[in-house]
Amino acid sequence: MSRIRFTQMRVVAKKEIIEFIRDWRTIVALILVPLLLFPLLFIAFPLVMQSEAQELQELDVDVLVQSDYIDSQILFGLNESNMSITIESLPSGLESLSQPLNDSSLLRSYQYDAILRLQQTNDTWIYSVLYLSTSEQSTEARNRVLEVLNNWETNETIQRIEAGGLDADSTLNPLRWDGTIADADVATKGEQAGLLLSLFIPFVLALWTASAAVQPAIDMTVGERERGTLEALLSLPLSRSELLMGKWLAVVTITGVGVALQVAGLLFGIAFLAEDLVNVPSISIGSVLLLTLAVGLYGTMIVALYLSLAMRSKSVKEAGTVLTPITLAMIVPILLTQFINLDDVESFWFAIPFVNVLLALRELLLDRIILEHVLIWISVSVFVSALTIRYAAKQFSREDIVTSRS
Amino acid sequence: MNENLLHLTDVSKSFGEVNAIEHVSLDIKDRSVIGLVGGNGAGKTTLLRMMAGIYKPTTGRVYLKDGQNVDQMRSLLGVVPESTGLYSKLTAWENIRFHSRIHGIEDSVAWSRTIRFAELLDMQDSLHRYTEGFSRGMKQKTALLRALAHGPSILLLDEPTAGLDVTSARIVRKLVQRLKEEGGTVIYSTHHLAEAEQVCDRIIIVHNGTIRADGKPEELLQLTNTHSLEEAYVSLTSEVARPRQEDSIKTSKFALLWRRLFTRRHTYEVNEDE
Repeated sequence: MSRIRFTQMRVVAKKEIIEFIRDWRTIVALILVPLLLFPLLFIAFPLVMQSEAQELQELDVDVLVQSDYIDSQILFGLNESNMSITIESLPSGLESLSQPLNDSSLLRSYQYDAILRLQQTNDTWIYSVLYLSTSEQSTEARNRVLEVLNNWETNETIQRIEAGGLDADSTLNPLRWDGTIADADVATKGEQAGLLLSLFIPFVLALWTASAAVQPAIDMTVGERERGTLEALLSLPLSRSELLMGKWLAVVTITGVGVALQVAGLLFGIAFLAEDLVNVPSISIGSVLLLTLAVGLYGTMIVALYLSLAMRSKSVKEAGTVLTPITLAMIVPILLTQFINLDDVESFWFAIPFVNVLLALRELLLDRIILEHVLIWISVSVFVSALTIRYAAKQFSREDIVTSRS
Repeated sequence: MNENLLHLTDVSKSFGEVNAIEHVSLDIKDRSVIGLVGGNGAGKTTLLRMMAGIYKPTTGRVYLKDGQNVDQMRSLLGVVPESTGLYSKLTAWENIRFHSRIHGIEDSVAWSRTIRFAELLDMQDSLHRYTEGFSRGMKQKTALLRALAHGPSILLLDEPTAGLDVTSARIVRKLVQRLKEEGGTVIYSTHHLAEAEQVCDRIIIVHNGTIRADGKPEELLQLTNTHSLEEAYVSLTSEVARPRQEDSIKTSKFALLWRRLFTRRHTYEVNEDE
C-alpha cells in the first residue's frame, strides 16, 4: 500500500457520509431502527406476553373425561376449573391409557381440546392426557387438567400420610433450603446481567455490524462504478490506498454509529423499560476499552472484506448476491460461540478469526480480562485485519475497476 | 514557441488478449486544442485514461515535461469523463468543491474560479442545486466547472458534446475556445469531424488502437490528397473497425459453461410464403 494522507482520506470519507445521509431512508435504516429497536421490543414484548397469557386464561376448553369411575374430588376439581367437561366410559381394547386409537380424530377435528383417561387400580390411579401439541388451545387444556390432577394428588398424599400417623410436612420435605436461593448467589446483579447479556450482545453487535456494512460497502464501490462517478474520482491526485481508506472510514463510521445507537437503545431499554427482568451489566473501564477494540477490529475485518468483494463484483446485483450469503454465514460463528463454555475455554478458540472476537465480547461482558486470551485475539485480529485491508487494497489497485470488468 | 507539456513514448495498452492501443507516440504542446478523432472502440478513451493516469501503459511511458509520471502530477490535469461522474445527492458546487479539496485548493479560490467560468456557461444560478435533476447539458457544464476549478494545465475532455443539444454543445465549444485564448491546453476526444475541425488546431485520427494521422486540418488534407476532412478520415480508416474493448469483458470458463447450460438456441422454420 502506498503512503496515505489523512487529509485526502478525510475528504473522501466526508463526501461519502454526506452523500449517504442525504437519503432519508438511510437515516431510518441506520439510525432510527437501531435506536428504537430494543426500546420498542422491551415495551412490546411484555405487552404481547401479558395479553397472550390473558387470552389463554380466558380460553374455553372442552375436555373429554374417559373413565369407568371418577373420584368425587377429581370431578369437583375438573368442574371448578374453567373447562367444559364431558364424561364417557373408557374405550375397550387399550394396551395403555396413552394409546390414542380412534380418539386422535376427536382432537384433530378440534371436537375436544384434551382427553383425560383415568382408571383406578387398587390404591393407585393411572391416567393419561391425550392432546395435540401443535395446538396452543389443546396444550392449555392439558395444563389445566394436569393442574387439577396435581392438586388432587397433593391433597391425597397428605391425607394418606396423616392417616398413617405421620407429619405430612416433614415427611414430604425432609431436606429444605433455608432463606432464598437468590441471596446465596455471590454474583452481583450487574454480573448476572453481564452473563445474560454476554449471550445476547455479541449476537446483536456481530450481526448488526455485518448487515449494516453491506449496503454502504456496495454503494461506495461497485455502485459508484455503475453510476459512472468512479472514473472522475480515479483521475484525481488521490492514491488508490487513500481512496480505499477514505471509503473504509466512511463505512466504518456509518456502521459504527448504527451499532453504537443499537447498544445505546439496548442499554436504555434495560435500564428504564426492563429493570424488573435484567440489570445494566457492571464492567470495568478496561473491559469497556477492550470491548470497543474488539468491535473495532471486527468492523475493520468485515468492512475491508466487503469493500474488496464489492469492488471485485461486476455489478451492484452481483455484489448483493455475493455479500448477502456471507452476512448470513456470519450467523455460524455467532451461534457457535454461544455454546462454548467460558469457564474452561481452550485458548485455541481465541486464534480463530471472527470467532475469537465474539468470544472476547462474551468474556469482557463478564468482566473477565484473561491476559493470554486478550493477547491471542488481539494479535490474530490485527493480523487478519491487515490481511483483509491488503486484499482490499489489491482490489482497489486493479486497473479494470473503472470498467465493469472483473 | 509552444512548450511540450505531456509526452507519450511508444505507448501500448492491452487488456488480456485485446490490444487497445498499439505503439502510440505523441507530444502535447501547451496553448493548443488537440482533437482525438475516431469511431467507437478506436481507443480514444483508453488513450485519455492513460494520459489521466487511470490506466498504466503495458509498454512505453506517459510523462510530463519534467519527466515525472503523470499519476504523480494529477493536479496539473482537469478531467471530464464521458459519464461526467457527478454525485447526484450533492449540489453542483459541492461536487466541484469535493474535487478541489482533493486537489488541495482552498474553497474560496475554487469558488472564485468556478464563478468566473459559471458566468460563461450560464450556470451561476444552478451552483447550489442538486445535480440529480440536471439535464445532460447542465451535467456536462458542471463537470467542466469541476475540472477547471483547481486551475489545471491540461484539460482532458472525453466526448464533451455527446448527447448535448445544439445550444449546450455550442457553449461547451465556446468555453474550449476561450481556454485556448487564455493559453490553456485542451485534449478533446470526439467522433464528430466537423466539431474537431471547428475547435481544434491539431487533429489526431485514432483507429483500431493506432494513430493514423496527426496534424493540422490542412496537413491531413494534404497527406491524404483529399478535399474534405471526412474524405481524409475515410481514406485513413478504411479497414473494418474492431469491437469496443469493453465488449470483450473477461468471463470465467465456469461462468460461461454455466450460462450455456441454461441457454437454448431457438431456430424456426422459414416460411417461404412470407
